[in-house]
Amino acid sequence: MTDAGREIAVQSRSVGDVAIIYASDYLNKLSGERIERECRRQLESGCRTLIINFRDTELVNSIGVSILVGVIDAAEQSTARLIFSDVNNHTANLFEMLGLTRHVSLATNEDEALSLAAQI
Amino acid sequence: MRQTQILALTPREDFVGRDAELRALTQQAVAATARGIILMSAPGAGAGELLRQTYDQLFQQRGFAIPVYFPWKANESASETGRRFFKTALQQYIAYRRVDSLLCTAPLTLNDLSDLALPSDYELVTTLIDRFEREQTSENEFLEFCFSMPHRLSVNGRVVYPLLDCMATQPFGPGATIAGSLLRLIRRTRGPFAIAGLRRQVAQLLHDADRTISDASGTVNIDRLDDEAASRLIDTLARRRNIKIDEASRDLIAQQLGGSPLFISTFLRTAHDKQTSLVSFLNCQRLYVDDLMGGSIKRHFDSIINGLADSSQTKRTLLRVLYESAASETRKSSLGAWKKRIGLASHEFEQLIEALHVYEMVNSTAAFIEVNTDSYPWIDYLRTQYELEVSGGPRARVVGAMLAETLKRAPQTMAQKYRRESALGLADLLPQFNCQDIPAVLFHYDRFAARYKGETPDAIESGLETESELLRLPQVIQAVCCGAITNTAGSVSERCVVAHAFENAEYETESEVVWLVTEIDSKLEASRELIEASCDRLTSLARENGFERFRIWLITREGFSKDASDFLNERKAFGSSRQQFELIAKLVSTETLEPSTIDADEYEMIIPMGEDSELVAARAVEQIARRINFQPEAINQIKTALVEACINATEHSLSPDRRIYQRFRLEDDKLVVTVASRGVVPTQLPGRNGQEASIEPNAKSRRGWGLKLIKTLMDEVEFVHVDDGTQLRMTKYLR
Repeated sequence: MTDAGREIAVQSRSVGDVAIIYASDYLNKLSGERIERECRRQLESGCRTLIINFRDTELVNSIGVSILVGVIDAAEQSTARLIFSDVNNHTANLFEMLGLTRHVSLATNEDEALSLAAQI
Repeated sequence: MRQTQILALTPREDFVGRDAELRALTQQAVAATARGIILMSAPGAGAGELLRQTYDQLFQQRGFAIPVYFPWKANESASETGRRFFKTALQQYIAYRRVDSLLCTAPLTLNDLSDLALPSDYELVTTLIDRFEREQTSENEFLEFCFSMPHRLSVNGRVVYPLLDCMATQPFGPGATIAGSLLRLIRRTRGPFAIAGLRRQVAQLLHDADRTISDASGTVNIDRLDDEAASRLIDTLARRRNIKIDEASRDLIAQQLGGSPLFISTFLRTAHDKQTSLVSFLNCQRLYVDDLMGGSIKRHFDSIINGLADSSQTKRTLLRVLYESAASETRKSSLGAWKKRIGLASHEFEQLIEALHVYEMVNSTAAFIEVNTDSYPWIDYLRTQYELEVSGGPRARVVGAMLAETLKRAPQTMAQKYRRESALGLADLLPQFNCQDIPAVLFHYDRFAARYKGETPDAIESGLETESELLRLPQVIQAVCCGAITNTAGSVSERCVVAHAFENAEYETESEVVWLVTEIDSKLEASRELIEASCDRLTSLARENGFERFRIWLITREGFSKDASDFLNERKAFGSSRQQFELIAKLVSTETLEPSTIDADEYEMIIPMGEDSELVAARAVEQIARRINFQPEAINQIKTALVEACINATEHSLSPDRRIYQRFRLEDDKLVVTVASRGVVPTQLPGRNGQEASIEPNAKSRRGWGLKLIKTLMDEVEFVHVDDGTQLRMTKYLR
């Protein structure tokens, strides 16, 4: 969770029409906006499923979470599916509290997320 | 070791009730950074004797500061005062240096002083005397020389400590001007000094002399003795003078003489001189009336009145106006009406009123004047003098009437004392109201009785801890006895209090509220009739004083009947029994006494706003929470709540210093985190848990999530009032 770490562009990879975006250790305004930008870019390039992987995410804040709402909106408008994977219990509870889980599927890990994506 | 009486008029052991003040004055002599002490004294409160006792003690302590006590005299010319000051300072200096207290008061000439000076002081003393004899050319230079004695004698590491007794300085007399000159010079020496004066005069005296004196000095208020000290003084003096006295008479004397050491000591002296035992109210009042008619009380007030009225006609007119004003229903008159009746020219009239005000015989403002009726000796003097001098009544009749009157009122005087002593102390408790959350049941006797009547104290305490309905107290900014704002509040004003307050400590008109609180005497549960009368009286008081929003709170010993409780509920008034009041007092003081200093289990941290600095705070709180074994999930919750609190502070406060102040306090079963920032207070702050924020979060509306998270993740969340900015207190319990 270093400044240097956050300077690095958000990591992502594609598996067919599924894009996997890796959230950083602290989901805040800056890192949230980077994820949002990457998600929009992936959607524009024809991606049908977005998986955001939170394996490195230790802490989230409400601004970061609120930006994820923008990602949900963008995915819905593109009729793409959004899956969150590797979310730790605490963060999952926060998403639940703030009503995000009504719009997003949660997967234990990336493989499960890819399986979910394949079921569409 | 027994203290020798040098200048003091009473032996040290008889000087009661002023230990703290005496200590402050004597410590001043040994303080490394000596400052001045200004004693602001009520008339007759004994500030002069306090300085003399200080002198005696310092003389015998033999510290590095040499005390010089100088009393002002009324109607003394400037040069006489200067001469006396020079000689007093020199004589007391030599007495101190020779360790010979008898020299302080011996009748000595300047030649004697020169002869008595120690060899090591001889040159200094003779030089000063030579200068004194040569400095007679100009009065100003002469005075400057005389008044600079403390400075001139402060040589070879010694310091002179002037103890200036201005109690006899007459308002507008020449003494006031001369005192100003002396004070200016004393200030320049930068050593310790003490000045005693009448409290309504001394501030002006200092202001006229040198505005920096007040800045460089501490102020000690010398009021009349409290009941306990007054009783102790009477017992001590009676024992010393072999006067037989019983407790009831002692208490009556203390009440009637208003705790004035001056009147008490002269009264006991008279009892001794007349060999009167004080074992009945009749004996006491006979002696008191004697004192009023021709004794020390009369002489005391005569000397003031005669000093103010230059002719017997003016004196009679003044007595008439004073007495008739005191006897009138309102006791308050316009200054214009007084001026017309007294018939003095403007300047003389203003000086007269100012002097009466300084002596606390009246209370005057720019437009109104009110005779002070708090002092029995003053009002009784006024009445007897009016009857004798104005009405021309026969002396025997005046004596008889006054004796009958004082005897009739004695039981009431004592009853007032007893009521005051048994009073709950409303005026002490109300100022402690500061937005504490108190179980609402404590303000509603009917609900309290239904839940807790007959329960043990422990059961009540446990029950109160689980009460969910809480009443947030307002922040009381001023609490005064009803008597201070109305003449019709009742017999004992301490039992009725008017408290000005702001709800939630929000200094806005809409939040302004006045609490009208009164104790009601009732052996059983108070009846509806009794309560109605009290509520009506308080409502009238609120209307008379223009209190737009007010809250009535009645307190009785045994609570309220069902009808009375129904009435209180209808009127939205509060009603508590004494038991409930005591529980409230306990809760209020507990919350008030929360430590504000850092102790061993507390951590403080200041972080800059922005740059993700909240992560630093989150890491720190994680380490702290681990110390009392919070589970990882709870630690994550605390961290997130703290991060949200920091973000809130950053986003909403427009903070001028861009800093976030945090405090983490570990207790046995909880962690309390306080996050504060300066700046703008967000509108509609939520209160404790259960009081909803104004912003309702949902997944599509991103506003208000921070507060929502904090309230969900922590067990208790509260915005605490601070003058500037916000302070959020969050508590997490260990489970």
